[in-house]
Amino acid sequence: MATTSSSNHGADRSAAVSRIVGDDVYARIKAAKVLMVGAGGIGCELLKNLVLSGFVNVVVVDLDTIEVSNLNRQFLFQRQHVGLPKAQVAADSARRFNPQANIVFHHANIKNKEFSQEWFGQFDLVLNALDNVSARNHVNRMCLAADVPLVESGTAGYLGQVTVIKKGATECFECTPKPPPKQHPVCTIRNTPSLPIHCIVWGKFLFNQLFGLADDENNISPNTADPEAAGDNADAGRQDVDGRDANAELSSADSATNNNVQSLRAWAIEHQYHADETVQKLFVNDVKTLLRMDKLWRERRPPVPLDTLLEQSTDGTNDDGPASSTRLKDQRVWGLKECTDVFRSSLSRLAQRLSEEQAKAAASGSSEAAILSWDKDDDLAMDFVTAAANLRMSVFSIPNMCRFDAKSMAGNIIPAIATTNAIVAGLIVLEAMKILRDQFSICRMTFLARKPNSRMKVLLPTELSKPNPNCHVCAAKPRVTVHVNTNTMTLGQFDEVVLKGRLGMIAPDMMEGNRILLSSEPGETDINNPKALSSLGIVHDTSVFVEDFHQSYELTIRVLHREAFEADAQFVVEGQGSVPPPAAQAPAAPAPTPSADRKRKAEDDSDAPAVVDDDDIVLMDDGSASDHQPAAAHVNKKHRLETPADDEDDIVFE
Amino acid sequence: MTSASMIVDRKTQRYDRQLRLWGDHGQAALESARVCLINGSATGTEILKNLVLPGIGSFTVIDSEKVSGADVGNNFFLDADSIGQSRARVVTELLQELNTDVSGNFVEEPLQSLLDNDVEFFRPFTLMIATQLSSKMLARVSEVCVKLGIPFLAVRSYGLIGYLRLQIGEHCVIESHPDSPMDDLRLDRPFPELLSYLQQIDFNTQDGFQHAHIPFLAILLKHLLEWKASHGGLPPKTSKDKDEFRAEIQRARRIKEDGSRAEEENHDEAITHATKAWHVSSIPSEISALFADSNVDNLTATSSPFWIMVRSLRDFVMAEGEGLLPLRGSIPDMAADSDRYIRLQHVYQERAKHDVAAFTAHVHRHLAELGLPLGTISDDDAKTFCRNAPFLRVIRARPISDELASATSKLTDTLNFHLEDPDSSVAFYVLLRAVDLFFEEHGRFPGAGDDQVEEDIAPLKQYVVGLLTDLGVSQHAIKEELIHEMCRFGAAELHNIASILGGLASQEAVKVITRQYIPFNNTFLFNGITSTSSTVEL
Ligand SMILES: [Zn+2]
Repeated sequence: MATTSSSNHGADRSAAVSRIVGDDVYARIKAAKVLMVGAGGIGCELLKNLVLSGFVNVVVVDLDTIEVSNLNRQFLFQRQHVGLPKAQVAADSARRFNPQANIVFHHANIKNKEFSQEWFGQFDLVLNALDNVSARNHVNRMCLAADVPLVESGTAGYLGQVTVIKKGATECFECTPKPPPKQHPVCTIRNTPSLPIHCIVWGKFLFNQLFGLADDENNISPNTADPEAAGDNADAGRQDVDGRDANAELSSADSATNNNVQSLRAWAIEHQYHADETVQKLFVNDVKTLLRMDKLWRERRPPVPLDTLLEQSTDGTNDDGPASSTRLKDQRVWGLKECTDVFRSSLSRLAQRLSEEQAKAAASGSSEAAILSWDKDDDLAMDFVTAAANLRMSVFSIPNMCRFDAKSMAGNIIPAIATTNAIVAGLIVLEAMKILRDQFSICRMTFLARKPNSRMKVLLPTELSKPNPNCHVCAAKPRVTVHVNTNTMTLGQFDEVVLKGRLGMIAPDMMEGNRILLSSEPGETDINNPKALSSLGIVHDTSVFVEDFHQSYELTIRVLHREAFEADAQFVVEGQGSVPPPAAQAPAAPAPTPSADRKRKAEDDSDAPAVVDDDDIVLMDDGSASDHQPAAAHVNKKHRLETPADDEDDIVFE
Repeated sequence: MTSASMIVDRKTQRYDRQLRLWGDHGQAALESARVCLINGSATGTEILKNLVLPGIGSFTVIDSEKVSGADVGNNFFLDADSIGQSRARVVTELLQELNTDVSGNFVEEPLQSLLDNDVEFFRPFTLMIATQLSSKMLARVSEVCVKLGIPFLAVRSYGLIGYLRLQIGEHCVIESHPDSPMDDLRLDRPFPELLSYLQQIDFNTQDGFQHAHIPFLAILLKHLLEWKASHGGLPPKTSKDKDEFRAEIQRARRIKEDGSRAEEENHDEAITHATKAWHVSSIPSEISALFADSNVDNLTATSSPFWIMVRSLRDFVMAEGEGLLPLRGSIPDMAADSDRYIRLQHVYQERAKHDVAAFTAHVHRHLAELGLPLGTISDDDAKTFCRNAPFLRVIRARPISDELASATSKLTDTLNFHLEDPDSSVAFYVLLRAVDLFFEEHGRFPGAGDDQVEEDIAPLKQYVVGLLTDLGVSQHAIKEELIHEMCRFGAAELHNIASILGGLASQEAVKVITRQYIPFNNTFLFNGITSTSSTVEL
């Protein structure tokens, strides 16, 4: 039969590659030492492509272990690998293909100190297959410091992007500022939720309060110090969409003064996690407490305690969901009674699990108390959060949502499929080959669209942009201006929230003139942490010099004093936008995460697009998109790189 | 830490991230799909990998080759131990390991003999995919697929070049997932319930909160009605009109005690979205074209549910719809208080339900007239159809055998148009056909041996020139260096290109199988030298 199989090329497995790329380039491929960061969706495909393209020296770093929800696309992993480190299983699989290949893996965080600038410097090429902005920022800095070319990539659903970053020649990952993560004011979460997301965040916090790491940042009880309800003295803290990031962002921060943090856990233990009593406390008694704060309800619809709702309710389940499927029961909105039942049973089962974990920890002689950690793919935890959030939505007259959508929202889930990852991984290798040929001039940022644009292009390559001379990372002398209230922000907060949280540093040292105010050496400057910036001499228009030795990153920060911020933000970094105000009072207003929003809308009109796609697609389809992107489109696309990411893990949409 | 849930099962966990793209009905379509792959090449294996992972029902690999050294070099699923074994079998076994929910089959009989002796063998398949077939065999498979009414995707990886071709008789897409659909708000033709909602809103309230939380749609509608009343029933037309309209909304802001206008987000929104006030509700041209399709006028008992619904849709438009499609029923997000927002949402949703009911009545009438059971089209189907009415698409991708048989003037025009750009990927369409002509005469591809690259250039050029003449395209349309490149490729299949094509092809396969999103029509060419691509209808 007439096939175009290349079987007539003889048995040499590399013959085709060396013939087509040329012997000299093939020799470079074999000699090249490549770092691949991330062994998830893109990483699995990429490692396969590297090994089959002749690369033999590859180091793989990944922090994660394998989960069931990875298996629909991360083909190097199978069911029996669930729980094992991704880096290890991926490296083993690739080695089996080519036993001569020298594939080294590290099951570790790429931000660890062991991965120093010198360590990065050993590579000819770094390939990012990451799923979060924070690690991307870090690798960007390490590659700039070590002057190693970096290929950056991301996917989201059907969309993908690949670009090349080379120190001094192209823009770096941080040349285009990203909007800060969406946050929700604490008081809204605790006292006056108006959107489904407020209740979802509350549900996740409740999980932590009852079973996980309970601290002030995820307090869910009524806040009687709400400035709106009482005086105007309480400093309302703020919470990230994602509980974990909220912790990182806040740590020592303030805040809401009436701490009954210990008390909820203590209360639960005292009541042995009794289901009915917990329902009574959270959805009746606490609601009555809120109702007594009558100032809150002057211009808002007051909440209704659950017992009243249940009395009024005719219940029956909501008939609006797609009822046809028996399998996807999670796409049906539960009724009030059903929510209560799921809440009660998942609470009891989680309490049971907690006590088992504690018993195990005690048996192994561990001094630390066992806790449960929230995970969107832990179905019991997800049941609990869905039920808790929906009960709260009912109490606050917010339309309920199904478990499937609650999961999108709670987990900031970005859809991910094998096909997009395969295409993007292939494009990464094509760019890597150009770099090895020293052909930076033909390297491109390539964008994968969902459908052909008006010029019938699905792949949209654009020339790489020049570095942004004002970039706060890759400029010759990086500078940035930060507005803070120097009288209320402590050095410790500045360290956590501004330097590490927003500016992406790992271990900053900060100096004002010759005075060392903050040291990355443990303990050296701890005494300064609780002090306000102004008391340390950082007042309006003070410039401080910050250095992160690990990242070889130096930054001059001009501090400007500002009394108050919009939407109770704590600070503003100039040029990076302010923290967006909390969404207004639309009960069915958009979910804050594009993916969640997409699904939620899909309930209303099944063809709803992913919001994350919208802007980009519109621009791509604007016929001008080809080799010369208009600047606006370019900025927009650059922004896209931050959001899409396989895989899904806890991406905070920025 | 995953534990049994009361709610979700094992499959839902595994497929969670893709269900968010195509939903449970898309997943059900995938799980019932039977995919046939011709040739377990690197490209073919990559395509199947990307279909087995998300859980197609079954696949069948047709391949009579034995695993070679080159296969081991470019196919991740093959290792040196498998050299000499049946490629169909080895590939099937390894793909099967990726997902035990998928059933894998293989056939070692040569394609030629299946085509000659057992065309019925192909009938059960949902989708046929062929990789690495040259023109002649492609045309034969194409004819069989036309005959059996099976969608056909041809994929070819040749050096750094990739080719995808879709052939499909009639592909009706209800859920096309448009990128940014316009809201269907009907401010220009407000329905009675919307008008009575408007009457219930107190625009003169002294309560600042109340005033600042009137849904902006109500503000727009109020001002539009007032404008029309004072402009002979016409909406704002000129840009001066439109500025004035916005200014009126600006003046409607509440006046604060100090005399200044209040900052009211809802009024900001009304001004931002003022275009919605003069947006003319209408039927998209694609849908009007569908209404004119002969399938609509000639319903029979064998008409597909899609065409019965298009006919019912047209009936609805001409009757209850008063010239418009069923209302979609969703409204945008806005700054508003819960109460009035929910009521507004309700007004639109109820109207949409009302329209769905009217539409469904037409569907039932047609089903009855055709003697079909009412269950042929479920209420859910009807509802989904209505929500997607403005975005329905029908794709017909013509047979490859027709394209190869003779050059139509349309084909000639299309090629001439694209080849005016010397860097167009479309050049590789001509070159791939030229290497096939070379193959037919020489029994091998140009440059297929290391020492043959130089000597094959001149003869390949002859084929290119001859082909361009046949196609009616200028003989200088193909750059000389590309002919050299084709010889240098020697028909080799590179894994990295196979991987990219595998991703692109499987993506289209998923669109075809799930009948969601719009597949390309009909030829896609990838240039791995420059990472560029083109889609052309040939
Ligand atoms: Zn930069």
